[in-house]
Amino acid sequence: MAETLCTPGERLALAAEYDAGSGTCVRDSFICATLVGVKRVLPAGEGKAVQRPRVEVVRSGVEPVVPRVGDVVTARVVRINPRLAAVDILCVGPKPVRQRYSGVIRVQDVRATEIDKVQIQASFRPGDVVRAEVLSLGDARSYHLTTAKNHLGVVHARSVAGVPMVPVSWQEMQCPQTKAVENRKVAKLDA
Amino acid sequence: MEYVSPEGLRLDGRRPKELRQLKAQLDVLSTADGSALFEMGNTKVLAAVFGPKPTELRSQEDEKRAIIRCEYAMAAFSTGERRRRGKSDRRATEITKAIRNTLEQTIMTELLPRSQIDIYVQVLQADGGTRCACINAAFLALAVAAVPMRDVVAACAAGYLDSTALLDLNYMEDAGGGPDVVVAVHPNHSNRVVLLQQDNRVAVETFEEVMELAVAGCRAVADFMRGRLLEHTRALAAARAAGEDGGGGGGAAMEGDSGEELEDDEY
Repeated sequence: MAETLCTPGERLALAAEYDAGSGTCVRDSFICATLVGVKRVLPAGEGKAVQRPRVEVVRSGVEPVVPRVGDVVTARVVRINPRLAAVDILCVGPKPVRQRYSGVIRVQDVRATEIDKVQIQASFRPGDVVRAEVLSLGDARSYHLTTAKNHLGVVHARSVAGVPMVPVSWQEMQCPQTKAVENRKVAKLDA
Repeated sequence: MEYVSPEGLRLDGRRPKELRQLKAQLDVLSTADGSALFEMGNTKVLAAVFGPKPTELRSQEDEKRAIIRCEYAMAAFSTGERRRRGKSDRRATEITKAIRNTLEQTIMTELLPRSQIDIYVQVLQADGGTRCACINAAFLALAVAAVPMRDVVAACAAGYLDSTALLDLNYMEDAGGGPDVVVAVHPNHSNRVVLLQQDNRVAVETFEEVMELAVAGCRAVADFMRGRLLEHTRALAAARAAGEDGGGGGGAAMEGDSGEELEDDEY
């Protein structure tokens, strides 16, 4: 079998010959596993000063999906107020998250230009699905997100009539049924 | 009372150095991050692990390491005589501390600063050796929850009755009044002893014999648990591979079902 499974405490390699990666610890000149999972050996990194292969233990099962700074996430707007839009993060990249992560898009992070003139209620509405980038890990309650790029913003929104709207410009969307135009910060997809 | 018959058999028919039958089921609760059901003969224990998660109380938060909370409870129906006991009786408090102490030495708490891990162990059926079974069940649940640990931790008891060292005492033998030595070890770290408890007095020579037997028992328990964890991991990997191959979700499941039916017909 190419991949070997290991349990906590199992000796994997000599600490002098390998680097200890995630899921391992160094104990008495040995690298030991700390998790139940598959042992993997990564070849020595070229650019790094230490030219040693790295041994790590990867947990079998689904790795938790956690938003990191710089990730593009898909989120649903749950509530708005003049200062910010509160969202629930649904996906990080293409992967759905398993638990609820809340985020906020503050008024100054909605778009890149003329940020003093931004009105939250003219950019997002509760229920909209938004593509945004993680700006920082934020405070204890929520991540800080930004939509201040062309490819970020609202990707799916329903009109007052409850019909999915079609984007007509970077800040307007139109309902195909009632032809009513509503204001949104629209994402430019496939850019 | 005779605890070891002239033929060398114990009350339940075991040899003096024989463990009871071990059974373990992993990931039995969907709500917990990790859970395990562990059986040593008629002793049956359920363990559930929640976390690592942010500390609930700010005052308990530790900047450098995770805090571990442990709760031990005995079901009212777990003993022969139905009895309701609270979580706060002295025996339960002592066992809780023993379990927490053992696990604190095993979990790499320094890797998870400002977090908390909750461990709940519930005795469903008690027949001696509950604290060993609790430690073993809690270890399995922690392993399922992917909490980083220094080593496998395995616990086992041994006693001395009728001038014979006995491994893994059941309730009748426990009540026999002889010494009862509970040991938990880290088997991959040259059998480092992380828990040692003893009831009643015993001569030093006897103690060494009993202790050695208990450590050997721990190693056997550790081997069993390691086997179960690897088996569980393989089953998970196989299930995931099957899920990825299927792709279509419902359609794939249907095919799988019909395949099983065919096999049933053949046998």
